[in-house]
Amino acid sequence: MANNKPYAGLIVSGLISGALYLALYLFHHEIMAAFTRTDGWYPGLPVATAFAFSFAHGAFTGYFWEVLGITARSRG
Amino acid sequence: MEQLAVNFIDLTTANVLSLFVIGFIGGLVSGFIGSGGAFVLTPAMMTMGVSGVVAVASNMCHKFPKALVGAYKRYGYGHVDIKLGLVMAATASIGVWVGADIQQQIKVNYGEAGSNLYVSLSFVIVLTIVGSYVLRDAIKIFRSGDMHAEDRTSRLAAWVQAVEIPGTMMHFKTANVRVSVLFTIPLGFATGMLAATIAVGGFIGVPGMMYVLGAPALVASATELVIAFVMGLGGSIKYALHGLIDIRLTLILLAGSLFGIQLGAIGTTFVKPYLIKVVMAAIMLIVAVSRALVVPVYLTELGKLGLSSDTTAVLGHASFAFLVLALCTGGIIISGAMLHGHRRIVRTREEQPEAVAE
Repeated sequence: MANNKPYAGLIVSGLISGALYLALYLFHHEIMAAFTRTDGWYPGLPVATAFAFSFAHGAFTGYFWEVLGITARSRG
Repeated sequence: MEQLAVNFIDLTTANVLSLFVIGFIGGLVSGFIGSGGAFVLTPAMMTMGVSGVVAVASNMCHKFPKALVGAYKRYGYGHVDIKLGLVMAATASIGVWVGADIQQQIKVNYGEAGSNLYVSLSFVIVLTIVGSYVLRDAIKIFRSGDMHAEDRTSRLAAWVQAVEIPGTMMHFKTANVRVSVLFTIPLGFATGMLAATIAVGGFIGVPGMMYVLGAPALVASATELVIAFVMGLGGSIKYALHGLIDIRLTLILLAGSLFGIQLGAIGTTFVKPYLIKVVMAAIMLIVAVSRALVVPVYLTELGKLGLSSDTTAVLGHASFAFLVLALCTGGIIISGAMLHGHRRIVRTREEQPEAVAE
C-alpha cells in the first residue's frame, strides 16, 4: 500500500504550486497593478489566475492528504 | 468600466497566517456541508482593514475555485448531481442579480447602517427558521437510533415528487428524484438571493434540496458546490470588471481552503449522513446568534436605539467571536467525526478482515 503513494505527483504539483506562490510574493506590486486594471482583457487576469492556482494547488493538496494516508472510504 | 478608488492593504505575516487558517477551516466546512466559511471570511478581512467591497470581491474570487475542487472531489465519490446543480444555478444567478439590486436600493434609501441591518435581520430570520428545522430533523434521526439509515423523504418532498406537471418533469439521477423543474425555480432563486445578501446561499440551497426536493443530505451538500461555483464565477467576473479583487487575499485564502475542502470532502465518506445536518444546524444557529447581537448596534446607528459606544463595541466584538465560534464548532465536529469514523473502520478491519476486504 505504502509503495502506491503518489510521491512523484506530490513533488511535481508541489513545485508548480510553490513556484506560483513564490511568483506572487516576488512580483506582488506588479501583479496588483495589472490585476486591478479595468480596461481591455485585464479583468480576466484574476479569474484566470484563480483557475490556474486551483488546478496546481488543488492537485498538490489532494496528493498531500493521500501521501499522509488520509483517503476516502472506498464506498462513499 | 470605470475603476473605483479603493485602497489595498499591506499584508503582515500575522494577516497571512490568519487568512490561511481561516481559509483552511472554511474549506473544511465547505467540503463537508457544501457551503459555509464565507460568512466569517468577509468580516475577518474587514477587521484587518480591508474595505468591505474588496473583502466581498476577494472572498468571492476564492470561492469558485474552491467549490470547483470540492465538486470534482465529491463527484469522484458519486455525491454530485451535476444536472440538479446546473438547473438550480440557473435561477440562483437571477436571485443573485435581484438580491444585489435590493441591497443597492436599501443602501441608497437607508444608508450603510440600513443595509447592514437588513443583512443581519436576514441572517437571523433565515438561519433561525432553517437551522431549527435542520436541528430538529437531526435530533429526530438521533433519537430513532437509526443513524446509518439513508435520509427519509420529508412529507413536503413526498408531495413535491408526487406532483405531475406535464412538460416540466425532470429526473435527477444521482439525487434519485423526479420532480417538476418549476419547484427548483423558487429554491434556486432564494439560494441566489441569500448568497447576494449574506454570502452563503447554501444555507437555503442545501436544506431546500433535502427537504423540498427530497435529495439525500450527501448529494445536496455536494451539489451545492456546483451552484457555488457558477454563482462565484459570475460574481467574480462582475467584481473583476470593477478592479476590486485583491488577488493576494484570494490566493492566500485559497492556499488554506484547498487543503480544507479536500479533507472535508474525504470526511463525508467516513461519517453517517445525519452528521451533515448536525454540523449545518450548529453553524447556522451560532451564526444567527452572532448576527442578532449586532442588530441593536445598527438600530443605534439609525437613531432608533440609544446604546453607548462602549456597549456597541462590546456587541461588535461578541458578534465576531460567535462567528469564529461557529466556524470552529463546525471544524471540531467534522474532525472529531472523521477520527471516530476512521477508528471504527480500523477496529472493524481488525475484527473482521474479510468483511473489509470486500
